[in-house]
Amino acid sequence: MINSENLTFKYEAYDASEQTRAALRDVNVKINAGEFVAVLGHNGSGKSTLARHLNALLAPTEGTLWVGGRDTKDPENTWEIRQSVGMVFQNPDNQIIATIVEEDVAFGPENLGVCPTEIRERVDETLAIVRMSKYAAAPPHHLSGGQKQRVAIAGVLAMRPSCIVLDEPSAMLDPSGRREVMETITRLNREQGITIILITHFMEEAARTNRIIVMDEGKVVMDDEPQKIFANVEKMTELKLGVPNVTELAFELKKRGVPMPQDIITIDNFIAAYTSAVGSRSLEAVNGSRSAQASPICEAGSQGEQASPAAAQKSAPILELKNVSHVYNANSVFEKAALSDISLQIFKGEMLTIIGHTGSGKSTLIQHFNALLKPTAGEIFFDGENIHASKKSLKEIRQRVGLVFQYPEHQLFEATIYKDVAFGPTRMGLSEEDIHRQTIEALEAVGLSEKHYEKSPFELSGGQKRRAAIAGVLAMRPEILILDEPAAGLDPRGRENIFAQIKKMHKALGITVVLVSHSMDDAARLTDRVIVMNESRIVCDGTPSEIFARQGQSEFLKKIGLDVPQILRLMTRLNEKDPRFPAQIFSIEAAADALAGAVQP
Amino acid sequence: MTRITIGQYYPTNSPIHRLDPRVKLLGTIFYITALLFVNHFAGYGLALIFIATLVKISKVPPRLLLRGLRAILFILVFASALNLFLTPGDTVIFQVGFIRLTMEGVAVAGKMVCRLVLLVLGSTILTLTTSPIQLTDGIEALLSPLKRIKVPAHDIAMMMSIALRFIPTLADETEKIIKAQKARGADFDTGGLITRAKSLIPILVPLFISAFKRADELATAMEARCYRGDINRTKMKQMKIAPSDILATAILISFCVAIILTRFI
Repeated sequence: MINSENLTFKYEAYDASEQTRAALRDVNVKINAGEFVAVLGHNGSGKSTLARHLNALLAPTEGTLWVGGRDTKDPENTWEIRQSVGMVFQNPDNQIIATIVEEDVAFGPENLGVCPTEIRERVDETLAIVRMSKYAAAPPHHLSGGQKQRVAIAGVLAMRPSCIVLDEPSAMLDPSGRREVMETITRLNREQGITIILITHFMEEAARTNRIIVMDEGKVVMDDEPQKIFANVEKMTELKLGVPNVTELAFELKKRGVPMPQDIITIDNFIAAYTSAVGSRSLEAVNGSRSAQASPICEAGSQGEQASPAAAQKSAPILELKNVSHVYNANSVFEKAALSDISLQIFKGEMLTIIGHTGSGKSTLIQHFNALLKPTAGEIFFDGENIHASKKSLKEIRQRVGLVFQYPEHQLFEATIYKDVAFGPTRMGLSEEDIHRQTIEALEAVGLSEKHYEKSPFELSGGQKRRAAIAGVLAMRPEILILDEPAAGLDPRGRENIFAQIKKMHKALGITVVLVSHSMDDAARLTDRVIVMNESRIVCDGTPSEIFARQGQSEFLKKIGLDVPQILRLMTRLNEKDPRFPAQIFSIEAAADALAGAVQP
Repeated sequence: MTRITIGQYYPTNSPIHRLDPRVKLLGTIFYITALLFVNHFAGYGLALIFIATLVKISKVPPRLLLRGLRAILFILVFASALNLFLTPGDTVIFQVGFIRLTMEGVAVAGKMVCRLVLLVLGSTILTLTTSPIQLTDGIEALLSPLKRIKVPAHDIAMMMSIALRFIPTLADETEKIIKAQKARGADFDTGGLITRAKSLIPILVPLFISAFKRADELATAMEARCYRGDINRTKMKQMKIAPSDILATAILISFCVAIILTRFI
């Protein structure tokens, strides 16, 4: 189906003095019809450039690429190649062309000159395949991210391709959207025999394919079955790509003397391997008594109890919400409750996560923290003062409670990074010296070195831009810093980087940090307090172990559209098989301890 | 979150809604032209009855039409005041100082108000009963004979429909950028005109960058789906002239002739 020989590609230099690095170097890949391939690699590793070659959007500078036996360099072949290899891109909003779903699906076949009655048939058929028939007449901006991506897949499918290339299709989606996309493409591969090439940053997604190609600096560095790729834990860690959590757990267990094989990539693999490794040996002391006394602290649809660890400090809360509700478009047909009776205390120096699926009310909630939104009922206290009743200006509140929106780099507007970060302090009316000091301090806190200060935002990488944007808020010296999905859309290295910087900032500046996230894994790993939101209410509030301590928590979290840490899923499954295993473990270390302890040599 | 309705399309199922957009577009153009020839109140009366009947058939709540009128209220009052008092005439009704109200002035102002109101009502019915996408399809179809003299009919229609598609997206984005800059201490409500204009820079720059980025990605996505202008292109939804369209055209033409004939009463 796809065959490349020494494929090399260089982007054109903007001026002659500039030496361009080859985006692709001597790539030799052969992909057969019906394969399900994942392509992994950092931003800038050449994945997207490769993807664009497959659909003849780019042509190789050197070497040759054949798609279905056709040379992509020959312009005669362009349209046939584009018809047979469909592309789905990252941003769902920027690939839907029409104002109505079915019109958009029809766009491809219309371009191909298919006759109207057949287009109609294809549209109905493909919308049924991606399970979006119900939304045929809907305008795209009323759909969720996952639904939009399914429409985009249908739009490609309607052209009857033999291969679909997806360039990070789930990077901008929440966990349930990601599941929708994964489920759809897996089905297409199995039932329709369509070749799928999936570019992704999510190792768990890659583990579900039949083959993984790892790229680094324009080259293919690994190309094998997922089992073999992930067995190479050291190499994958070195490339800063990581491996699925169960693979890492198996690796840890092996280090602790449990004879685990190397090729574990799914929960099923793990359970099978672990059961046979344990074999006839006694499952003696299952070390799980710590979390055995599970008390149900989460009730679906009702307010969770305050179980904050910081509450024990007995200090006055820095931010307090009392029975806050917010209704959008009150008294109109579009009336919608976004927050219902929220009471919440946040303490000085805390680092906590608010999680919930898209539309659960998280964004509305954090916009109350810095008075961007006013509650329709209830009161908000900052440092003991009611912020909407006191004489304090809202501008001051916004300075003291810093809010970093999702994709904050989209708000950079100045010519240089330094000027952009200085915007906040300048608006505060500080003296030149103070502006300079706070700007430099913020830039240092996010780990941007001096050589970047005079650069234009366009010259920075995605992760650097994001950090510059965070510095823009930090430069106002807020007492609370709220970050909405700070790692969204970044590659694994960028994610790791940004979280490390946030942790450092929290420690060094003693700033109170509130993270907003879709990811239970991140929440559990980074913070010691987690607030779970669902349908405009807080449903859980406690430490990660308290949150996971409840029986059936996996199902509950899944039901409200959140992902469940893979380790927790694994432990729940083991617990079902043998109740002596503790079900409420979610970190790799704790699981390794428990599972290694269970095996008596 | 934001549920923006583009234009003022009122979705329901009525004989008027089902008419071919080309018929509706051409009909509106005929109607407007005919209206310009009318200079007798009988003609305006006739037109008003016609419009009222259309509204009844189209099942559109009449208050939506009145809302369209509210937009031109100022022009209406201003222009009729000018006409009332500045029209030269002999039949003076009353005169205070230099302000003079004449019979002729009342007639001219009255006719102008009638003409404007009927004009707006007619075109409002078109936009209330035709979805934006049908409108663009209709415009493309009507302009397509002009392709021979190099009028890019397809491109115009494609541009219009992409603009319609991205209005809600960009509106959402603008709202988000405003909030984000507010969170960084930006202030849009105080200061003089120049300060306020300057405070728009932090909104406009990111908005433009994002719009260009979107345009670039959209163009790539369109190319990837084999878009190459209207070369060898078909359309899923074909416009067909139904008997009802012919009937509607016949009615409309006889109506237009009738109101023009009122000139000769």
